[in-house]
Amino acid sequence: MKARNLVLLAIAVLMMLVWTFPVLWGLVTSLKTEKDVLAYPPSVIFEPTLRNYADVFRGSQSIVPNLISSVIVSGLTTLLTMILAIPAAYALSRLDLPFRKGAGFYVLATQMLPPVGLVIPYFLILRRIGWTDTYQGLVLVYLTFALPFAIWLLVSYFEEIPREMEEAALLDRAGRWRALWHVILPQAKGGIAVTVIFVFLNSWNEFLFAVVLGGNNVRPVTVAMFNFISLEQTQWARLAAAAMAGMAPVIILGLMAQKHIVKGLTVGAVKGGGRR
Amino acid sequence: MSGKISDEVLKSRRKVLAGGVAMLGAPWVARFANAQAAVDIGPYQAAKVNWRQAEGEKLTVAVIPAGYFDALINEAPTFQALTGVEVRFEKVPPGQIRQKAILDLSSKTGTYATHAADPMYYDLYASNKWCDPIDGMLGDARLTDAAWFRNDDIIPAWRGANTVAGKPYGVPFDGETTVQIYRKDLYAAKGLKPAETLDDLVKNSAAIHDPNNRVWGGAMRGFAGAGQNMYIYPSIFRAFGGDWFKSGQLVLNSPEGVAALEWYVNLLTKYSPPAVRNWNWPDLADAFSQGTLGLYVDSNTSASVLNNPEKSKVIGKIGYARWPRGPSGKRVTSIWNWGFPVNAALSEKAKRATWLFITWATSAETQARTSFRSKGIKRLGINRLPQLRSQEFAAMVKDYGDNYLQATTESMANDADVQWRPRMPQWPAVGETMATAIQAALVGQKKPKEALDEAQGRVAQILKG
Repeated sequence: MKARNLVLLAIAVLMMLVWTFPVLWGLVTSLKTEKDVLAYPPSVIFEPTLRNYADVFRGSQSIVPNLISSVIVSGLTTLLTMILAIPAAYALSRLDLPFRKGAGFYVLATQMLPPVGLVIPYFLILRRIGWTDTYQGLVLVYLTFALPFAIWLLVSYFEEIPREMEEAALLDRAGRWRALWHVILPQAKGGIAVTVIFVFLNSWNEFLFAVVLGGNNVRPVTVAMFNFISLEQTQWARLAAAAMAGMAPVIILGLMAQKHIVKGLTVGAVKGGGRR
Repeated sequence: MSGKISDEVLKSRRKVLAGGVAMLGAPWVARFANAQAAVDIGPYQAAKVNWRQAEGEKLTVAVIPAGYFDALINEAPTFQALTGVEVRFEKVPPGQIRQKAILDLSSKTGTYATHAADPMYYDLYASNKWCDPIDGMLGDARLTDAAWFRNDDIIPAWRGANTVAGKPYGVPFDGETTVQIYRKDLYAAKGLKPAETLDDLVKNSAAIHDPNNRVWGGAMRGFAGAGQNMYIYPSIFRAFGGDWFKSGQLVLNSPEGVAALEWYVNLLTKYSPPAVRNWNWPDLADAFSQGTLGLYVDSNTSASVLNNPEKSKVIGKIGYARWPRGPSGKRVTSIWNWGFPVNAALSEKAKRATWLFITWATSAETQARTSFRSKGIKRLGINRLPQLRSQEFAAMVKDYGDNYLQATTESMANDADVQWRPRMPQWPAVGETMATAIQAALVGQKKPKEALDEAQGRVAQILKG
């Protein structure tokens, strides 16, 4: 039994390394000078420096305004997505609507469109209404892929919740909205947390629409990081520091919601999981 | 005449400002006056044009993140003080600026008054009338003082690269040329001289090739892309005597083309680090600066990175030479410049403002201010041969390595070939198809002949539309 645990632990550590190694390598690189970054064999012992972080957070190459841009775009996208997706997913999971199946498929089908095919129409539409390089423009475009994804994800969580609980609330003269708010949502906390994380993460990491539809006013961190890959040279250490700074908000959000995410991801694995 | 009026107005404004400061003595006024005084517009006022004819216009200019554009951005307050035109720069990553510009130009939204343009895209712009030819503006005395601007001083090959059917479409701002960059200490140890022919280059590479001691003999860009392997292969192709067009048809798989690709594959396979197939110019510069490469052929502007004490281990050991001659007897270098075109979708006033910006940015005065006279970033890729041959420029690059200035200027003046790459509106698709074929040969997926035959077939489909 003990040996089995050890083997499982070793496998878990190896699997973790696949994910953590690039991040740790990036972290170490961000603490090196450019000379140490390029040294061969790679230097394990070196004098760490915070200079790269200083360059990334201050001065002409600062990415702080871009981090703020990313927070605004991703935060607004997530908020609006959840406000719209929760009732939509609830309706699709509970109401006996004639077009329910078709609507569900339509929601999923929008995810199948390659984003690059949408860039030009989005650009032309936003340009026509004067919304290129604006927060509302980018958030509107992000909603087009975040919303179907969130609805699709939430429907599966809502369907896990036994209808009897809701019916009890309805018998007690609660309306649909009250039943959703007081019965469904507390039960689906895990699923909602997972959805929030994924929507936020997708918006945070998005590059294609950000580079084409953004500009000087709205320039998310994914685009700004390219400033460290200039035509003259790649500033590896500063790029690594920028990457670490860019990852931090998502990691913090993940840690904050960790408890709910674990619950959310395991919903359905065990009977009655939705109630845990 | 209008220029004189403008000068007088400006001079009187400065007098009023100075008088105001003296009378009021208010600290904020003094600060403002100092800021004005820090911007020296005097040398531009020698031009007999009315710099303020488009006052109040607002322009957006798309550039890429690069030190040489940062140098221009730092100088922008001078342009604004000179013209009253507000200019904002948008930095777009190099991989996306072409697409974003095409999107803007094709939809006629006029977002970018001008942008850092790839010379290979002018055929596309011209055939769609997305950008205006600039000969009219160059010849209009109200817009350009020819004696002051001295367009002929701009490197002829760069101007040629920005010309379509005899009409110029963009003014070069910054550019480069490709040259041999070698380790003179390794060459000296083996009694070698810089290669005069492509065969010599292979022999030199073989002589210094010592991978056991982490020195590879020779390298060039191997990464797939129109601006990567398709930036280097065309020089070899032309040096082998290749012609892109035969009877008006694009021919990629000619015997010269196959021989050139075989030479390229041979060098990179035998004497380059295995990863070179995915290396772009920054990777080559990083490898050379760490002493890993004995020789490579790439941009002269890499010199600033190779001589950066924060990174480089080879400072004082670098030599430069022009491209070697190919079997045709020709040396063929790249013609690269970031030029500024005029967006055809702009209003007449905005076009005038844009043209003033372009002449300001590409003028000898701004070129000097962003290069050898700069107190900050010092650009290497200035656009005028007389300035490249000036003592001030020579003093700036004197520590870059042996023969830097001579190799660079001779290469720009003599080795540039306007037909270096196939110039046609379909270039974006043709360039990528060629790049894919070259990489297929480099990684050994296909024989050079097979790769080029396949590319020929694909390109035929592209040209059919």
